[in-house]
Amino acid sequence: MRLSRRAVCLLLAVALLLVVGGILPVIGANKITIKFFSNLPDRTAGQGRLEQLLIDNYMKANPHVQIEVEALQDEPYKQKFRVYTAGNQLPDIFMVWGQPAFFDPIMKGGYAAELNWDDYKDYGFFDGALDGFSMNGKLYGLARNTDLMVLYYNERLFKEHGVKVPTTYDELIEAIRAFRKAGIAPIAHNGRDCWALNILYQDLVTKVSGDPTLMYQALAGKVKFAENKHFLAAAEELKKLIDLGAFQDSFIAADYGAARNLFGQELAAMYYMGSWETGLANDENFSASFRNNVSVTAFPGMTGTGKGKSTDLMGWFGGGYAVSAKSPVKAEAIKLLNYIMAPENWAKNAWQLGLVIPGQRYDQFLTGKENRLQLQLSEIINKATSFSGTPWNDAATPGFKVDSETIIQEFAAGMRSPQDFLRACDQAAQKARQ
Amino acid sequence: MGDNMHYFRENKKTIFLLVAPGFAFFLMAVLFPIGLSVYYALTDWSGIGGFNYIGFRNFQRVLQDRIFWHSLKNAATLALMTITIQHPIAFLFAVLIDRLGGKLEKVFKTIFFIPCVIPVMVTSKMWVNIYNSQYGLLNKVLELIGLGFLKQQWLGDPKIVLYSLVLIMMWQGFGWAVLIYYAGVKSLPEEVFEAAKIDGANRCQTLFRITIPLMQPVIAVNVIWAVISSLKQMETIYLTTNGGPGNASQFLANYLYIKAFDAYEFAYGNAISVFFVVVCLLTTVVLNRLLTRKEYY
Repeated sequence: MRLSRRAVCLLLAVALLLVVGGILPVIGANKITIKFFSNLPDRTAGQGRLEQLLIDNYMKANPHVQIEVEALQDEPYKQKFRVYTAGNQLPDIFMVWGQPAFFDPIMKGGYAAELNWDDYKDYGFFDGALDGFSMNGKLYGLARNTDLMVLYYNERLFKEHGVKVPTTYDELIEAIRAFRKAGIAPIAHNGRDCWALNILYQDLVTKVSGDPTLMYQALAGKVKFAENKHFLAAAEELKKLIDLGAFQDSFIAADYGAARNLFGQELAAMYYMGSWETGLANDENFSASFRNNVSVTAFPGMTGTGKGKSTDLMGWFGGGYAVSAKSPVKAEAIKLLNYIMAPENWAKNAWQLGLVIPGQRYDQFLTGKENRLQLQLSEIINKATSFSGTPWNDAATPGFKVDSETIIQEFAAGMRSPQDFLRACDQAAQKARQ
Repeated sequence: MGDNMHYFRENKKTIFLLVAPGFAFFLMAVLFPIGLSVYYALTDWSGIGGFNYIGFRNFQRVLQDRIFWHSLKNAATLALMTITIQHPIAFLFAVLIDRLGGKLEKVFKTIFFIPCVIPVMVTSKMWVNIYNSQYGLLNKVLELIGLGFLKQQWLGDPKIVLYSLVLIMMWQGFGWAVLIYYAGVKSLPEEVFEAAKIDGANRCQTLFRITIPLMQPVIAVNVIWAVISSLKQMETIYLTTNGGPGNASQFLANYLYIKAFDAYEFAYGNAISVFFVVVCLLTTVVLNRLLTRKEYY
């Protein structure tokens, strides 16, 4: 049988294709791609920079691993996360909030891979840091940071207007009056996001009652919001703050960035926000005057009427990471997670770069070069007499989160009376329990 | 040739083949998703994990949901204000631009259309800043011209937030309204106007007796379009207030999104979306009937 030249060429080409097609996957088999989904879109500064640095280091040490990062701001992140979950296509490793409203459905739905408790014996996580990341004794994620709600303030503005930095609740009211009189927004607040209002209300409940567990008793149905005098007193206190003009005008419409900028541009004297804003002292977007004058104190406790002290803190372990249970590279993704969260990586660098307060012990990483906010925050933590745990809006179902945040915004906007607000809280909590 | 055409029209197979691609697309892009929505609305699916069939409970809940009705009322307010405020002004400007002629006609046409080509994201954020109580342009200008007493918390006050948003949305859609009316005015036959001129009709008479009646079909299209886009409104709301304070400025599309994706009540979100489709369809049918009937007068 004689084959024409064209047929020979064709046969050869097919053979070549088969050989190359067979070899290439074998060569590529050693190369692993891990998809990393993050809520830190700024990869050149802050926590995003640290995350990227650790990822780059890991890729250098493990040349066969390729890590693809997708990063979005918190709100878009949550939305895309839900789309990924609905489509059952979660990336291999992803950021999670270790709070029931966010992480419980993920753990229950079997979307997060189980981790081995023993792997983290020496990681130095604080007591309770992994509570929000575990369910029925099984571990599904690791906490990144310790979150505290504190009162940042601008020392220059306090000095220039002769106002005393508040150490008691009465002094806080005095400071609010003084700054209002001077035409300066006393406290910058992001009311559009609602959650900060929820946290402030819980803070007030603790400060009024002296009992950090009261809120959770109400969520569990053991105490009624509407029938407890402490809840009413705290609601009236919040209303008083709003009526006094404690927050900037139209704070209800201000989002996170708007409130943060107001404080950073020295147009507000105080800023009620979490310890994750330690980086304010190094933020080049704001003036040197601001950076040199930003300080932090605990939200003051009450004297007289209230029983809560300034050392009863709103504190919890919020953000962290988990691995997808359906990841084709699950083992490699867990290895990467363990590398990132190793104390000498996340905890050490996060502390020494002055970014956040880690969720792991960091006393061995103190250098003596910490910025002022870090030292002040450390002192606040060291003096703490109680920590709240997960803020109430995040402590139940996703539906309760939406309800409780809507209700408190309506209350803050004057659409509900304190009693009406408390009745609505009871209804929402009951709905969440069903 | 005539026989061929006849055969072609009569052949049902051919008709089916010609219609099939379009119908298949309609089936895939419209009917199938709606069907799927109805299916999910009959369950208690949270969006993740398993689910159970629960009958019409979600639909009953929608009917009793005060935020659903409030959102619908907000859409009706927006539609009403668009039709009674934005449209007459847009119509007037369309007629005026047409009369300008020459280069100026093009210049003004472009100016009015600028807000429509800027992404909604940008214009919404711009308005959030204009409305800002601390440094916003609006309050500053009011103070500057001695109207300081009119200063408001434009997006923070539940009593006025809807109207502040309506203004943004009317501004954003103004160019479209002008453009459609302008196209309508341009297509009117010159002879009728010349005849009216010869008969001694003045400008006002020409406008009310000739221009507006002749523009009836264009007005109908523009009104239906305004109502439907009011019902569908989502982007501006999401980017400015997210329906707040509370649900004071809530709209249906944004509300169903919050229910489906924030509250993990995916099935309930689907029930709202089914009602949403029904409301949009009914409105279109009713408006079509009302507005086309007028054409015969």
